[in-house]
Amino acid sequence: MKRGRQPELIRLAAEAAGLGASLSRRGFLMLSVCTVSGLAALGLEQAFGADAPLVILDNAKGMILADPTRCVGCQRCELACTEFNDGRAQPSLARIKISRTVHFGPGGPTGGDGMHGDWGDGLVLQGVCRQCPHPVPCATACPQNAIKVEPETGARAVDPAVCVGCRLCQRACPWDMLSFDEQAGVATKCFLCHGRPKCVEACPAGALRYVPWRDLTRDGGPQRSGLSVVSPESARACTDCHVPAGKTGVR
Amino acid sequence: MAATSGGFAGKVLRVDLSTGKIGIQDTIERYEAVLGGAGLGYRVLWDEVPAGTGPFDPANKLVFAAGALVGTSVPCNGRATVTTIFPTCWPRPLVGSGHMGGHFAAKLKYAGYDALIVEGRADKPVWIMIRDARVEIRDAGHLWGSGIRRTTLELSQEMGPDCVVAAIGQAGENQAPMGMVINSVSHSAGGVGGVMGAKNLKAVAVQGSGAVRIAGDKAEWEKLIKFHLSILGGNNQHVVPSFPTPQAEYYNPASRWVGQPGRRWGAAKPPVELAGDIYDLNRIAYRTNSAAYFLGGEAWKYTVRGNGCTACPIRCHTMLRVPSVTVRYGIPDMAQNTCIALQFGRMFFKQPGDGKGGEAAIEACMVGMHLADDMGLWSNYGQLQRDLRKLYEGGYLKTRLGSKEYASIPWDKYENGDPAFLLDIIPRIANRQGELGDVLSRGTGAIFDHWSIPEAEWARDRTTTYWKMGHPKHHANEDDGQCGVIINTQYNRDAQCHSHTNFVRNGLPLEIQRKLAAAIWGSPDALDAPGDYTPANVYKAKRARWSLVRKELHDALGVCNWMGPWVASPRWERGYAGDDSLESRFLSLATGRAIDREELDRAGERIFTLHRALTIRDMGQVDMRSKHDLVPPWVFEDPNGAAPFTKGTTRMDPADIALAMDLFYEIMGWDKATGAPTGERYASLGLGDVGEALRVGKLTPESGR
Amino acid sequence: MTSCGTTGLAQAAAEAVREASREPRLATCGDVLAMLLERGLGDVLATPASGRDDEEADPRGVPDGAQPAAAADAAARLAALLACQPGIAAFVSLSGQTVYHAPELLSRTYALILDRKDSPIALVAEEIRTNSRDYPRPVPVKLFEAPPFDLSPEEIEAVLRAMAAGAAYQDITFAATTNGAVYLFSSLHLKREYAAFLAERAETLVLNP
Repeated sequence: MKRGRQPELIRLAAEAAGLGASLSRRGFLMLSVCTVSGLAALGLEQAFGADAPLVILDNAKGMILADPTRCVGCQRCELACTEFNDGRAQPSLARIKISRTVHFGPGGPTGGDGMHGDWGDGLVLQGVCRQCPHPVPCATACPQNAIKVEPETGARAVDPAVCVGCRLCQRACPWDMLSFDEQAGVATKCFLCHGRPKCVEACPAGALRYVPWRDLTRDGGPQRSGLSVVSPESARACTDCHVPAGKTGVR
Repeated sequence: MAATSGGFAGKVLRVDLSTGKIGIQDTIERYEAVLGGAGLGYRVLWDEVPAGTGPFDPANKLVFAAGALVGTSVPCNGRATVTTIFPTCWPRPLVGSGHMGGHFAAKLKYAGYDALIVEGRADKPVWIMIRDARVEIRDAGHLWGSGIRRTTLELSQEMGPDCVVAAIGQAGENQAPMGMVINSVSHSAGGVGGVMGAKNLKAVAVQGSGAVRIAGDKAEWEKLIKFHLSILGGNNQHVVPSFPTPQAEYYNPASRWVGQPGRRWGAAKPPVELAGDIYDLNRIAYRTNSAAYFLGGEAWKYTVRGNGCTACPIRCHTMLRVPSVTVRYGIPDMAQNTCIALQFGRMFFKQPGDGKGGEAAIEACMVGMHLADDMGLWSNYGQLQRDLRKLYEGGYLKTRLGSKEYASIPWDKYENGDPAFLLDIIPRIANRQGELGDVLSRGTGAIFDHWSIPEAEWARDRTTTYWKMGHPKHHANEDDGQCGVIINTQYNRDAQCHSHTNFVRNGLPLEIQRKLAAAIWGSPDALDAPGDYTPANVYKAKRARWSLVRKELHDALGVCNWMGPWVASPRWERGYAGDDSLESRFLSLATGRAIDREELDRAGERIFTLHRALTIRDMGQVDMRSKHDLVPPWVFEDPNGAAPFTKGTTRMDPADIALAMDLFYEIMGWDKATGAPTGERYASLGLGDVGEALRVGKLTPESGR
Repeated sequence: MTSCGTTGLAQAAAEAVREASREPRLATCGDVLAMLLERGLGDVLATPASGRDDEEADPRGVPDGAQPAAAADAAARLAALLACQPGIAAFVSLSGQTVYHAPELLSRTYALILDRKDSPIALVAEEIRTNSRDYPRPVPVKLFEAPPFDLSPEEIEAVLRAMAAGAAYQDITFAATTNGAVYLFSSLHLKREYAAFLAERAETLVLNP
């Protein structure tokens, strides 16, 4: 959808809802609370105004659910991800993460009790993109608005045509799930393979399933603190909706 | 073929530990004709390691080689071959390979290398760090004396949690010929640990962020991968389950496909139930449970999950948790492995069924795995254990070992089948302590040398399963008549070939087996029923040749010869046929250069013939027939006196075996009298330089006369 | 002559067999008829037929008093329908009735086991004979303790005793291996020496990996 169309559509929607022509972003959002899905189809909530930063509000429809007790550490999921999508076998590029956790678990080679992975208790804690709800850390950090919603699945996906390879998304992800394609010079991440994830299909132990989305960002802690670099324009846009409590009505 | 055309990483890494020099070669330029893996290893040995080089000489080389299909999602890849002058080969070390799975080979490919060639000797303990293009020789003084487990942990701390470490333990450090190198907990290459130790090389640790490119169309590739998955069986490509199921027409109680719905991984938390469609491609990992197969149904409750090599869906290394061993023996409660390595511990004791029951056997296995896989002690396919038992039971030790040393060994624990015996015997051998520890650390040949015991005392005793040159049989006449015998004559260590036995033991009715055999090897007569052998024929010789060529091919491509080739499948709608051209189809797509089954088999034959040439050269002997391709006397006997070619015996007939060897040499294009390749044969396989060198040395049949 | 193949009734009948096979369960003609009746399709079969296509069957149903003959007729017509359905197989059950299964969902081997579940002696004997003939190989007695046979050691012992005494089972015999395992075979298909060899071999496979 072209950016220039948005204000016009919003104006029409506002009029149809009996609201004034000048509708702030917040007002729009209050409006859209009731009509999210309908407006989502128009992608209206994605681009309010020509210069507004991209804010992904809609949740993904599906997600990959990983069961560590079934993972057998074969890495076929990583390989399916890159072989079938990119034409090369490259675990460092894979959008599901096994290699970094299969030997010692997410805590690394600490030794002692409590270590996971092949050298520990055997549990392989797979790294899977949570398709975060708003605010989407990688998308928020991207100065090019290159991370968008993939229409079929709602997956948050990097548009390689827009990505400039600055890697801010990688630093922003609290679970370090962004990969970087050194060959193409762009970031990449799990995009749910148009609703038929290759990794899920490839797993020989049924450790991965493609299920309805729910918010996993509150399950367990992040792997590391993300560095969230938010441009001033984006930050300003936040305050359109996130106003002090007590303010009501559309301005 | 350009280096970046696909499959191959394109570079061979050389590290000279004497000079510290690190260099790169182009894989395709130098080694295209021999593909990689064992082929590359043989070529390096031919070109660079002169005849007479000892295994522990600095001039010996260690070639760690992956293969063109390694690192991809081709099912059952991930194998590395480690080729060198093999220390346990007796009486004179010759070319041999150890083979290890796990994650090492794939990681080497992602780092950008098809192989690592280690040369020379460091003047103090070192390890080799490989991180993509960055390769360094680092000090390993702080690791020397540590086991493989600690070494892996500490090197991973230094390099990062995703690195793969191939390390030796105390056995290798002590330059024990029976030392081995291990990566990824349980994946060992036998016999080469001492060579690493002699080079003062404690470990090789690899990280790789690169890619293995698929040159062909990725949709075609995906389709072929899925097809291959759809014709997989269980471990060893056993294509029928071990249990009757509505989903299959046939079953076989002796099948390794033991994952019956209703079973569960009992030590997973919470346990994982096996359920559903046994052919479901998302359930392949549940088909195999090596611990249950080898140790009995009791093992299910100790099973955490399966484990194994990069990209393999079979997961034949069963991960076990047995809490009692921590209490009883002070060892970790978790261990994993398969086959002999899984049974390392219990094989020291008398055969199962001596009244000790399943639990003691399982505990013995846990102790065995813990010690052997940490100290890096090899079993030589169980020969170590059989040798100890024969030496003890046969009274050899009582008379030959000093009484003080004899008394210091806890024989009472051995007699009682007490796993605590292993806490003495395994470190004793790994540390080469005393006379017994030292002799056993050197391989079976050392037993003959050190105690002046004639080899014939082993070769006549079928219970030793001794074959020749210091090593045991490995799927010989007991599995596969003449085909198995031929295969076992060809190597300088135990044969390590499973092409034939995977097929023979896959569980299908004989009638169907024969139909499949006819399609591949030309006649149903290529195959006999077990123990119902018929005389040698050309089809059996063809099958032996195919088995050997495919084994070399698998060792060159980095594909598992314990799963492939895939001539049979579980699919009744295909008449249980698999696909005999999978290797060539995958290689074509990976590299972008079309190669058919016949051309690839030719490369396999080239590699196998190069091994033959190396053996001839380093033995200084052209008469392979009488000096190398030996068969032990027990093969020609039967404990009940049954005659050959009667039902119920695996006894072979000497004249028939001579005929079998004739037929084999003939189809190989080798001279019948000597079993040596002719100059013409070398040339036709693109080994003209090899043939010429042998001709000059009077080691071809024509020049040798 | 009843036509075959693509009529709705024929397909429904085949589907009923497949449904049973999925459970897994064998289906008799009566079972199939009952399933069809449940779906309102069996009435057609219940009317007497002669030379008519199923689609022309009289929807008024069967007049009272004609039931037994009609039932037998219905069964026969059903059998004829199923006989030419692709993917549906039949055999004569231990009970004497014809039973149907879809081999793709329920193999003949397993179907035969199901058929004999209630007759342990026949169950064990036939499995032994089949193994001895088809592979050929003896069968470890432990096989019968596991699913789908699920016999207790006591039940197996009783079966073995009964077979030893029964004239119809004189071919069933056993070989004991040197490590104490017992294998059963049929002398109709395997000679004792060979069976003993195969049993011994089977027990050595674990140490011959």
